Amino acid sequence: MTTRPDFPDPVCDAHRGRASVLARLDLRALASLVLAGLLTGCGPSADPGPTRSGAASRPLTVGVNFETLQTEYWVAGFEAIKTELKARDIRVLESVADGDANRQLQQVRTFITRRVDGIILVPKDAKTCIPAIKAANEAGIPIVLFNRPAAAAEGVRSVAVVADNRKLTRETVAFMVEQARQTGRKHKAMVVVGDLGDINAIGRKDGFYDAVQGQEAVVEVVAEVPSEWNQEKARAGVVNALQAHPDISFIFSSSDFLFPSIVAALKSANRYHKIGAPGHVILGGFDGDATAYQMLVEGYLDATGVQDVYFEAEQCVQALLDQLAGKEVPPVILDPGFVIHQGNLEEKKARMWGAHVARR
Amino acid sequence: MTAPVGRSLGLLLLNQASLVLFAGVVLTFGLMSPAFLQPANASNILIQPASTGILAVGMTFVLLTAGVDLSVGAIMFVAAAVGGKLILGGWPFGGVLAVMILIGVLYGAMNAWFITQFAILAFVVTLATRYFGRGLGLRITETRAMNLPESFYELGAARVLGVPLPILVFALIVVVAHVVLTRTPFGRQVYAVGADVEAARKAGVRTRAVLFAVYVICGFCAAAAGMVALSQAPAVSPTFGNNREFMAIAAAVLGGTSLFGGRGAVFPGTVLGAVLIQTIENGLTILNVNSYLYPLITSGVIFIAVLLDATRCRVLAHVNRRKIFVETGS
Repeated sequence: MTTRPDFPDPVCDAHRGRASVLARLDLRALASLVLAGLLTGCGPSADPGPTRSGAASRPLTVGVNFETLQTEYWVAGFEAIKTELKARDIRVLESVADGDANRQLQQVRTFITRRVDGIILVPKDAKTCIPAIKAANEAGIPIVLFNRPAAAAEGVRSVAVVADNRKLTRETVAFMVEQARQTGRKHKAMVVVGDLGDINAIGRKDGFYDAVQGQEAVVEVVAEVPSEWNQEKARAGVVNALQAHPDISFIFSSSDFLFPSIVAALKSANRYHKIGAPGHVILGGFDGDATAYQMLVEGYLDATGVQDVYFEAEQCVQALLDQLAGKEVPPVILDPGFVIHQGNLEEKKARMWGAHVARR
Repeated sequence: MTAPVGRSLGLLLLNQASLVLFAGVVLTFGLMSPAFLQPANASNILIQPASTGILAVGMTFVLLTAGVDLSVGAIMFVAAAVGGKLILGGWPFGGVLAVMILIGVLYGAMNAWFITQFAILAFVVTLATRYFGRGLGLRITETRAMNLPESFYELGAARVLGVPLPILVFALIVVVAHVVLTRTPFGRQVYAVGADVEAARKAGVRTRAVLFAVYVICGFCAAAAGMVALSQAPAVSPTFGNNREFMAIAAAVLGGTSLFGGRGAVFPGTVLGAVLIQTIENGLTILNVNSYLYPLITSGVIFIAVLLDATRCRVLAHVNRRKIFVETGS
C-alpha cells in the first residue's frame, strides 16, 4: 500500500475543523449501519469496490486530466477511462487543460490538494509533464500516463500505457505494401505526416519508412506531406503532391481524421475509386476512427492501424490499482493494437473504437 | 546621372518588396522543378489560398486600425460546426450559408462591442473569444468529425465561366474590399483611425463606429473563409480553423500591412501575401523537401519580407526627411 506523507495544505487546513465533525458523523453513521446489520442478521452485502485503507475506508477517487479533447480519439479515450473507473466503483474527478501545459500542472496540483488516490494523465508533451509527475510523486500519489510517455528524468516515477505507434504503423504499411505487390506493378507513394512536435506523429513517420525500406521494387516514396494535424493544410499538400506526381497510387495518412481532406483531393483529381476498381489508390491510415470505419465498410480503405482504446483504458486503471496495492508495475505498458482491413473487418470491428462512435 | 537612376531603381524595388520576393520565389522553384511552372499548378496555387486569403482580407481591415482579431479561426469553426449540423439536419443549402454568414457577423459584432464599449484591448478580447469559440465549436460537434454531403464538395469543384468558384468568391471579396478601402470615405477613415485614433477623432471621424465596422467585416470574412474551406474539404474536424489566425496575419504582413496600423492594402498586398505563402508550400511539396524544412523556409521568407519592409520604411524616411540648410554669414 502506498502511503502519502503529510504536507501543508492551506485549503485542507482551513476545512480541517469541519472535516473532523464530518468524520464524527461518518463514525456515527458507520456504527448505525453495523447495528442495523446485526439486527437484520448480516444479509448479503453489495461489493463496496476498491477502497483506501485506514480507519474510515471510503471509495477510491481518481483524477483524470486530458491535455485536449480536440480529436475523436481523445474523447473516446476519456469516455473509456471514465467507464472503466465507474465500472470498478471508483469516483472520478475530471479536467481538461486545453493544450496548456501550465494549466495542466495547476489542474494536477488541484487533484493533489483534493487528495485523490491516483491520477491518469494525458500530458501535453513528453517534457512539460515532468513537474506534474514530480508533484504527484512528492504527494505519494501514483500517476499513469495515457497514450503519451514522459521523457526520462532522474527521480521521476510514472507508468505509461502507450500504443506502439512505430510498430503498429510498420505493420499497417507492410500490409499495404503486400497489397501493392499483388497488383504486379510498381507504385509511387505519398505519406501524410502529422505534427512534427508530437512524438506519436514521429513514431508513425518512422514506422512508415521502416516498412517501405527495402521495398523499392514495389513502392517508391515520392512525396512527404506535412499536415501539422490540420485538415486544410493536409488537403493543400495532397493536391500539390498529386499535381507533381499524378501517378501516385499509394497513400498513408498518419491519422484517420485527415481522410476527408485526402478524399477531397483524390476526388478533385478523379482518383477516388473502390478497392478492386481500375485506378484505385491503395489507402492506409492510423487510429481506427469513425471515418476510417465507414471507408472500410464502403470498400475504399485498404487498412488502418487501430489503437485499442479499451485495452489502454483498462490497463491504465489496473496499473493504478496495482500501484496502490504495492505491486510492481513496469514503467511502460504497450498496447500492441491491431491492423484492420477488408479481410478481418467483421472479426475485429468490435474492438475498433471508431465503429462504436459511428454507430452512435 | 548614374547614381540618381540607381537610387530610383533601388527605391522602386523596395517599394515593391512583396512583388520582388514573390517573383524570386517563383523563379527559384521554377528553376528547380519544371512541374512547378505548369499551368495546372498555377491554377492550384490560386485556388488553395482562397480560404486563407479571404480570412486575411478581413484581418487587413482590423490590422489597418492597429487592432488584431485572434478569434477568426474560432469563428470559422463555430460557423462550420453550426452549418454542418444544419446541413446534416436537412436544411436547404442556401439557408445554411446564410446562417453561417450571420454567425460570422454576430461574432464580429460581439468582439467589436467589447472592444469599443469597454475599451478593452483587442488582443485580450479576441483571445478570450477565441477560446470561447473553440469550446463552443467542440460542444456543438461533440468533438466528432462531421463528414458533409457531396453538395459541399460539388460547390468547391464548381466553375463559373471556367473559373473555379473558390477563386471567384475570393476575387469578389478582394474587389469589394479594395474598392471600400480606396474609394470610399469609410476606407479613408479606417486608415485615419489606424494612423492616429486621437487625431481622427478630433477630425470628426466616428472612431468607435469605424472600429465596430472593421471587426464585423472581419467576422463576415471568417465565416466566408469557413464556407470556402468546407467546399474544398467537406468535413468539420475538431481542429477545423485552428491557428488559421496566424496564417491570416502572416499573409497580411507579407503583403505589407503594418501591425501598427494605418498602412497596407488588400490588393495587391494581402492577396500577394496569401498567394506567396501557398506558393512556398506548393513548391516545397513538389520538390519533396523534408517536412522539418517547411516551417524553417516559410518563416525565413516571412522574415525577409519583414526585413525588406523595415528597410523600405527606413530608406523612405531618410529620403523624405526635411533638409534644413543654415546659411553661414561671411
